[in-house]
Formats: sequence, structure tokens, C-alpha cells
Amino acid sequence: MTAPADETGRPSGVARVLVIGAAVLAVLLLGAAVGLLVKLPGSTSTSAAPASGSVDVGFCQDMSQHHLQGIQMANIARDRSTDTEVRQLAFDIASTQLEQVGRMKGWLMMWNEHEQNISGVYMSWMNDSGVHGHGATTPEAGKPLMPGMAVTDELTKLRTMPAGRDFDVYFLQLMLRHHMGGSPMAEYASTRASQPFVRTLADNMLKSQASETELMKDYLAKRGAAPLP
Amino acid sequence: MTSGKKTKATRNSVAAARSSVVASKPKPWGTIIAVIAVLGLAGGVFGYAYSQIHANNVKEAALAKWKPSDTNKDPSTQLAGIVTKEYKGSRHVEATQRVAYDQTPAFGGPHDAQWADCTGVVYDKAVRTENMVHGLEHGAVWIAYNPDQVKDDALAKLKVKVEGIPYMMLSPFPGLDKPISLQSWGHQLKVEKADDERIDQFVSSLLRNPNTYPEVGASCENTAFLSNPAPFVAEKPGADAVPMDGGKDDSQTEGQQGQQPNMSTPPASGSASTPPSS
Repeated sequence: MTAPADETGRPSGVARVLVIGAAVLAVLLLGAAVGLLVKLPGSTSTSAAPASGSVDVGFCQDMSQHHLQGIQMANIARDRSTDTEVRQLAFDIASTQLEQVGRMKGWLMMWNEHEQNISGVYMSWMNDSGVHGHGATTPEAGKPLMPGMAVTDELTKLRTMPAGRDFDVYFLQLMLRHHMGGSPMAEYASTRASQPFVRTLADNMLKSQASETELMKDYLAKRGAAPLP
Repeated sequence: MTSGKKTKATRNSVAAARSSVVASKPKPWGTIIAVIAVLGLAGGVFGYAYSQIHANNVKEAALAKWKPSDTNKDPSTQLAGIVTKEYKGSRHVEATQRVAYDQTPAFGGPHDAQWADCTGVVYDKAVRTENMVHGLEHGAVWIAYNPDQVKDDALAKLKVKVEGIPYMMLSPFPGLDKPISLQSWGHQLKVEKADDERIDQFVSSLLRNPNTYPEVGASCENTAFLSNPAPFVAEKPGADAVPMDGGKDDSQTEGQQGQQPNMSTPPASGSASTPPSS
């Protein structure tokens, strides 16, 4: 420890020990920092349950809620339409989406998350999409909660319209808009969710709803009607 | 650290000066600065990571406080002013019957077989309690307000919390003893103002909390009811009202009609001038 500096003027043993000690400390600090950071939500770790605010949780919560309104509208058509074709489509949509909601809510329960978004801000998990207009939405009186969703007045109109061609057309228009509005969420989650089963479900929704979208456009054309603007 | 280094360095340089004729060696400032810089950088990175984690943990903890989980099954018990009661589900009464509820507004007990639609519905007129209670059984939160005390901005604030939000319903409740009363199955909280933070905490704790409502997975849709909601009955239930432990147990036969109901005096529907009493 008290060895004198050598003749070439290099630092003494003490200084060398200090420098080495500092280097070791720095490495330990950096290692500790890395250790902390890899546990941050949104990191690539896939072993643990997805965190609040993650794509997986956000998608399951917001898509469940989006689906529930689709089910609601489909059930109205299933109850009231006089057209077999429309009733069949309504049954298909309602039963498929209800089953998908059950899956998503089951996962949310496993992850100890709310089964629906109670923050009042929707789709904030899509914020790094870089696509303007797909960002978070906040409830506002008379505005849809999420893209494609019907407002209360539209639901009331659907519920109270007399059965017939106009009812079928209005249902198809609302449901077409609903499907199209939900697809960016499914698209985003199909590539960015951390859990493979969430990506699979989102991808499946995207594809099956795309074909239903085409079908509804055909049904509207067949009835001499156009999609909602 | 620096002072110790300095004295040793001084001693060393003195020794070096003694052992040679060369002028005294300068202190290794470059090394000192480099060591401090590296330590500072490492400390900074660690500090940043730690503060990020800490902020995140604080945020998570604040959210988790009102989020039902395996370890926090009913967060609402931490709410100041919460009233809780145990009620048995699935006991039904007929559309013509009244229930002698033990609370006002009621938040559990026998109820009508038709649940009030709770798909984010804002009821403009007061609704029959026997139907609202069935909505609670399906996991909904019912916000009741005194129409004489809650109007305009305050009412608009409540509507935004309900309209279109699944498993939420809002309705006026004539004669309510506080401006706002929140109900979930077995839970009630009365507050004075629409911006009371406990409203959102109540909703966060209890909306479709699988630990606190009897029929997990039940639907809130009931378009027949929504098209023609049963009106609120202001009169106090009579002696023929179904007691809190009464009602037909439909837990095994829901959806099937059993024996004829007791067709006693139908409730007078009409003026909401008389406040209900508990």
C-alpha cells in the first residue's frame, strides 16, 4: 500500500486500487441500472403478465367494450329483423364476439386487471403507432367513445325503428361502420401485443371482420343502400 | 477520498522528488477527473433507472389500490363512508310486487325478474327500484341522484361517467337523502358532489368485480326494458310487500315461469311527490 511510485511516474498502488475500485463500482451501478430497466413495462420480457397500460391489457379492455356494443346491436337485429339473411349475420356476429369477449375478459382476470377500461381514456395503448387520429379518446357527451361506435341516439333509433327493409339497412350501416372502426385496434394488437395468443386473436378478428365487412357492403348494395358517410 | 489521495500523492511525489533530481511530479488530475466522470455517469444512469422505476411503482400502487385482484378482492372497503351488506342473489318477485327493501336506495335483495338495462344507460326518469337492483346483481354500478339537488353541470359530469359505458346506469331518485348515491351489489356510498374522487374509486373497485356480485358473466342488455322502463314508485311499500328474505328462489329455474304470483294490490304508479323512507 505504501509502495513508492516507480521511476516512470505512473500512479502509485493506492491510486491504482482507487481507479480499479471506481471502475468496479461503475460497472456494478450500470449493471444494477440495467437490471432495473429490463423489468420496466413495455420491455421485451414475456414471462410475466402484461402490465397495466400495455398493448395486451389495453386491447383486451377496449376491444371487449367495442365488441359489447356490436353484440348489443346484433342482438337487436337478431330479435327484430324479418330478413333471414340479416338474422343469420346478426347471430354470427353476436355469438362470435361474445365468445371473444369471454376470452379477453378471462385473460384480464388472470392478469388481475379490470375487465374494462375505467380510466376514461380509450386506446391510449396505441399511442406509439405514429398514425395521427388513432390516439387516445376521452368520453365526450354525444360523441362515440371509440371509432365506429354508435352514440345513444343511434342505438335508440335502431331499437325503435319498425322492422323491415329500412331497419335492416340501418343495422347493416351501423354494423359496417362499427367493424371498420374497430379494425385499427385489432391491426395494432396483432403485431404489437406481447402475448402470442393475444396477437393470434387480434389477427383473427382482423381477418374475419374484413370478410364480414365485404359481406355487409354487398348486403347494403343488394338493398339499394350505401354505407354511412 | 480526494484528501486521502492528495496526502498520499503528496507523500509519493515527495518521495519521488527525493529519489530523483527531476522536478516534483504533477498530481494525476486526468486520472482523477476520468474516475469522477465515469462514477458520475454510472451514478446518473442508475439514478435515472431508479427514479423511473420508483415513479412507475408509485403510479401502479395508486391504481392498484382501487383495482380488484387476488390480494385485494374488494378495494371499496378502503373508501370513507362505504356501506356494505351481504345479500343473497337470484330471489325474484313479480312485476306487480314490491319489496320492503332495508336500504334507500336499495343495493341488494329480492328483485324483479327483469333487470334494468345497464349498458351505459342514462335514465331520464326515475326507475322502479326492483328492476335496478337486478342490474346490480349483474355487476353494474348504479348512480342515483336527487333531481332537486343535482342539475346542469353536476348532472353532465355524472352522465359522462355513464353514457355508453358498459355496466353503468344513472337515474334520478326522488327524495334521495344525499345529492348522489352509488350502488353496487352489497355496496353503497353517498356523496355530496359529482366531482368527488370517491365516485371513480367506487366504480374502479366494484364495477364487474367478480368477487362482489353474484352472477359473473351476466349480460346488461334488456332492450324490452329499455324501450319501456318500469317507473319509480314513490309510495312506501305496503304490508303485503315481499320481505328482504322473501321472493322466489330462481337460482335453479331462471327463465321458467313457476306458480302464479300473488296478485295483490298493484303498486300505484304516479306522482313522485312523497319521498320514500327507509
